Amino acid sequence: MSRTNIIALLIFGAILGYFLSFGSESTRKFKAGVYQLLAPFLTTGSGLQKQITSVRTGLKSLEQLERENAALQVENRALRATNQGLRDVEHEVNRLRHALNYRERSVFKLIAAEVVTRDSSTWWRTVTINRGKQEGIETDMPVVTDEGLIGKTTTVSDSISVVLLVSDENCKVAASVEGSREQGIVSGERVTAGLNPFLNLNFLSKQADLKSGQKVYTSGVGGVFPSGLLIGLVKSFRVRELDGQAQLTPAVDLSHLEDVFVVTGRK
Amino acid sequence: MIFFFLLLVIVLIAQIAEFFIPALPWLYNAHVYVVPVIVFYGAMALPFPLMLALALYAGLLLDALTVHVIGGKVEISAGSSILLYAVFAGIMHGLRPLFARGRWEVHCILSGICTSSIILAQYLMITFRRGSLVFTREIWWQIGGPGLFAMAIAPIVFWFLQWLGRITAYRYLPERSRFE
Repeated sequence: MSRTNIIALLIFGAILGYFLSFGSESTRKFKAGVYQLLAPFLTTGSGLQKQITSVRTGLKSLEQLERENAALQVENRALRATNQGLRDVEHEVNRLRHALNYRERSVFKLIAAEVVTRDSSTWWRTVTINRGKQEGIETDMPVVTDEGLIGKTTTVSDSISVVLLVSDENCKVAASVEGSREQGIVSGERVTAGLNPFLNLNFLSKQADLKSGQKVYTSGVGGVFPSGLLIGLVKSFRVRELDGQAQLTPAVDLSHLEDVFVVTGRK
Repeated sequence: MIFFFLLLVIVLIAQIAEFFIPALPWLYNAHVYVVPVIVFYGAMALPFPLMLALALYAGLLLDALTVHVIGGKVEISAGSSILLYAVFAGIMHGLRPLFARGRWEVHCILSGICTSSIILAQYLMITFRRGSLVFTREIWWQIGGPGLFAMAIAPIVFWFLQWLGRITAYRYLPERSRFE
């Protein structure tokens, strides 16, 4: 091996060692930095992709009308999401008032965002949204649509954020089942063959006996997700050796996400 | 050097493009990976130090864009993709004489195998963290599918990069005479 190659190998080893020594915070900063650098390309690419899709599907209209329509749709979804939040909160407040006289909860503060890209990797389920620190988004904030919960933010840079979808095995959400006292943890599956994955609700009691169609909401335990957000509907229930497990159909079609809302708090 | 910098730009474009290429539902949702094929071509066309630089660059991009920090935990450390790229690119670099003799098929097949090996290595790393090592049909297809796809596109990518090398008057191209 020539001297140049040995020196190159040594430099390579030193740089590699430097990166391998990164902790979680350094990795997060490094990742956020790279995302911030690539944000203009990702946003432009997303715009191009939408234009191509628009042309392909033959949905051409006047530019102004299209813009106005898009704005109205976002506003409509925001209102529907707020309504959904209000319904969930109302349901919970009523329950708590009757049972424990807990204090009233308020509706969510939402930041509208657009999905820019989907994750290109095999083992993680994420999307990238076009909102970041500049809009007040932080790590571990819930992300919803008008139909229910979709995930939480993980990496946040100035103008772009990565959202870990509820269908990812690593996204664990404390949940409760409508019409029962059952509580469990919802998580995704490591690998799914279809575009619409199922979720698993684990650690239920063996006697749970959940029925298909029952709604599953966030329970609020854990601090990341506020209570009352719809996660999905029970598809099936089975008893395992130590606990009960339900398979859920996600409330939101995770394969066609466009406009989402980041929950920054309650009003 | 122009060719090397062009390769860097192409890797960046390909990495961004991968975000917009949907998974293949008819292949158990397997993803399409183009970057490894470009890196493996670079491994054959570039001298050893530049090959390492390309592996470093592509690995960093892959780590930055795909590895996630969840709940304060990193499943795959930053730098692991650099190591994977460097090892597989090193193997391809070692087989350069075959490529120079016109045996492209070996490298096309190897590109597929190495692409799948990178995904398999990632899977083993996350399994080590998450537990429960399982290999279902879906998992095999999600590991093998991108490799098959990489094999299929490798001749086109190699041909394009070879042509790009020629028009940029790149001298370190694998010429037959250098090895015979």
